[in-house]
Amino acid sequence: MNKTLIKLATGLYLLCLLIISSCEEAAIPIEKDNTPVTIDTVSFPVIKTTSYQIPPVLGNAEHLYFGEKDGFKYLYNLIRFDSTDVSNIYSFDHYNDSLIVADSLKLSMRLSLDSIDQNAEFQLRYFPNGGDSVFNETSTNYLNFDRNTASSVISTAVMMVDSIDTVNTKVTLNFMMDTSIINVIKDTSIINFNQSFLVELKTEGSSEFKFHSSEKVTGDPPELIAYFRQFLSDSVVQDTSYHTYSSIQDVSIIEPPAITSLDSSSLAISLAKGLRSLVMVDMEGWKLPQKGIISSAELIYISSDSDTLTGYSVTSYPLKIEGDYSQFKSFETDPYMVDVNFNSSSSVIENILKINYRKISTEFGRGKLTNYGFKIQPSNNNDPFKTVLFHDLSSSDSYPVMRVIYVHP
Amino acid sequence: MFTLRLIFILLLMIKIVVSQSIFNAYGLGLSRTSYHTSVNGAGSIGLVPTFHPGVSMDNPATWPGLKFTYISGSFSNQSNGMKNSEITNQAAGFNKIQFVVPIRDRFGFGISVKPINNHNSFFSTDTVSFDFGGKNLLSNKEFRSGGGIMSGSFSISLPLNKSMGVGISVNKLFGSSRDEQSLVLNSTYYRLFNIRSYSGSTFNLDFAGRLYVDEKVIILAFARVGMTNKPVSGTLYKFDFYEDTNNNYSYDSDDYPANVDVDTISIKNIYAPNSFSFGFNVGFKNNLNLFSEFQLWNDEATNANYASIYNDQIGGKTHIGGGVVRFGDMGARDWQDQITFRSGLYQDKYVLRHTGKMLIENGLSMGIGFKFAATGNQIDFSYRYGSRSIRSSQKELFQEFTIGVSLGDIWFLRRRAKQ
Repeated sequence: MNKTLIKLATGLYLLCLLIISSCEEAAIPIEKDNTPVTIDTVSFPVIKTTSYQIPPVLGNAEHLYFGEKDGFKYLYNLIRFDSTDVSNIYSFDHYNDSLIVADSLKLSMRLSLDSIDQNAEFQLRYFPNGGDSVFNETSTNYLNFDRNTASSVISTAVMMVDSIDTVNTKVTLNFMMDTSIINVIKDTSIINFNQSFLVELKTEGSSEFKFHSSEKVTGDPPELIAYFRQFLSDSVVQDTSYHTYSSIQDVSIIEPPAITSLDSSSLAISLAKGLRSLVMVDMEGWKLPQKGIISSAELIYISSDSDTLTGYSVTSYPLKIEGDYSQFKSFETDPYMVDVNFNSSSSVIENILKINYRKISTEFGRGKLTNYGFKIQPSNNNDPFKTVLFHDLSSSDSYPVMRVIYVHP
Repeated sequence: MFTLRLIFILLLMIKIVVSQSIFNAYGLGLSRTSYHTSVNGAGSIGLVPTFHPGVSMDNPATWPGLKFTYISGSFSNQSNGMKNSEITNQAAGFNKIQFVVPIRDRFGFGISVKPINNHNSFFSTDTVSFDFGGKNLLSNKEFRSGGGIMSGSFSISLPLNKSMGVGISVNKLFGSSRDEQSLVLNSTYYRLFNIRSYSGSTFNLDFAGRLYVDEKVIILAFARVGMTNKPVSGTLYKFDFYEDTNNNYSYDSDDYPANVDVDTISIKNIYAPNSFSFGFNVGFKNNLNLFSEFQLWNDEATNANYASIYNDQIGGKTHIGGGVVRFGDMGARDWQDQITFRSGLYQDKYVLRHTGKMLIENGLSMGIGFKFAATGNQIDFSYRYGSRSIRSSQKELFQEFTIGVSLGDIWFLRRRAKQ
């Protein structure tokens, strides 16, 4: 019996030795000749560049602008509120209940400053005939929106200082609206009413006022507050209460200043001017070897600003159609469709912008997609009024160039 | 019991690691010439007796000479190092697991599992620096591979006459291997994987014969013909390169690109070994045996180079070797006389298929064996030292320590009639 057990144990131990064999790692140095895996580099020239202008859209800006600055005219702001309150329970239909009495509405906005240097009077309109949609914050601009679709002025207001605590203050702009406006908004004959408002200065001025928009991460976005009373019985009524509705879309409609000669002769990008640029890289005939991978495909742009620029973020997309590189042009809508699946973003560091196009370059190198060039435009997190100029092909030594590093078997 | 405890202690002392040889990266790698510890100790290719007088555990034709049924395992610890480098790697793993049953001194059968070849390798190249558009790039390469072809064998022994026997072995070849090719660019790894599977079969025909016997000397002759029944075919999985962004050696969601394609390629006839071997053993009355062996081995595969690290592979091999074995006498009074001593010298000349370059391996072996218990249990140790080189700059020194344990029992053997 013991002998059998010993043999069994021995066999199991041998089996364990077989299973648990493991690796010692110490690389043997060899010469790289005649070994697989190669790193290659190639530089592709930029052969065509141009800039163009579209009407600016500031729907993703962190502020809502009023007034005028540096030639930019802030015409008005459009704000749309959520159809249910912040608790996601109460829609405007709630105020159609016979036991609910809606008394008033307040539209509140917060100034970006904590004190009032210069006050102004603002006025409010809304869109009773706007149906379920009035504007789109990603596309509405000063050329494609008719402000005459708005109602007459329904409220006016000036900025006021409110206390946050014993030390801090905030400046708010509060428009009060009566029951006539509530009756329109709560009307269920229009499914999903637009809940949109137009806010503007009562008189044009040369000052600039900035309010928090819904995109400001740590800010107070515009709010719509509905005050109401609820009857518990025919004779018992609760004190006034309120529901808050947050802004879901807001956009400043601005009119940009005239384009300068520098804007039109450089690779220029700007949110508030609506400037974008096209770059055509000659990658004709290049093939990425089978199984290869692109480590980087950097298109390098050099800023032509005299001041050192750092931190400005740029987004780029490959074009889906041929670009017109003949001269600077202005368009009412951007004619250049892009492939959003291959977007690349990068920030300028000490006047140099390197955008890595390796994903789309892989597709070009494998012959799966056609290279029509790239569009560059400012990212939404930049100062929208900053215009950045990059050297184009006219520069003798700072022209853009694409450098590709790739690895293949 | 003491001896069994000793076996366990020795096994526990074995360092379990896997090493690599630069020559494992040529095609399917180097194929082993010997498997059982007793064969290793003599530097033999397994034809001539090394385990027991008249018996080689690697030669089925000799198995009827065993007095007991054996279950046997051999494990080796290898050390490889480049002569021009201070780096040395160690390796361990089993060489062979075997079960052999002799039947009435005339027949026998056995099964075994053993690795045919070995893909273990880990190389790196020097780091080079170059400038590209004002950007300094540092790069080097790393290559790793592992796995290989295993053989599961069934063998039988048959007598031809009183002094000759044959052994027939059918070997099922199976297994898989993988290699990783990496380029390190400014500390970022770009990795590519290949995975291969193997399936095929071969057979061996062994011969053992007693040519001459008198009171002082006995001359034995051995031969083996190895043929491919079904050339090894396999499936090659070739993955695209990926950027191992988090350098965790495996492809995951943090790596680039988001999807990695794999080509699945079925390839036939990638390994078809044929061989012819013969050997002679001269045994003297004092249990001293002198032997010599010769082998011609050739890979007749038509699909060369199954995507190995080096774009070449072993195409043929010539082995010549000889040595001495002195079998121990279990009935001797002195323990020294109970020990089996083995030693041998050999040379393997491998020919690379594409370049025609010759890889020469010279080796020196020695070993001992010790029987214990009434059923012929045996523990064997062997040590082998040698060098492999294609050219002087690529000379590899290797050492191999092997331990084998063979446990015997009585099956199908003639027993004495009861009085």
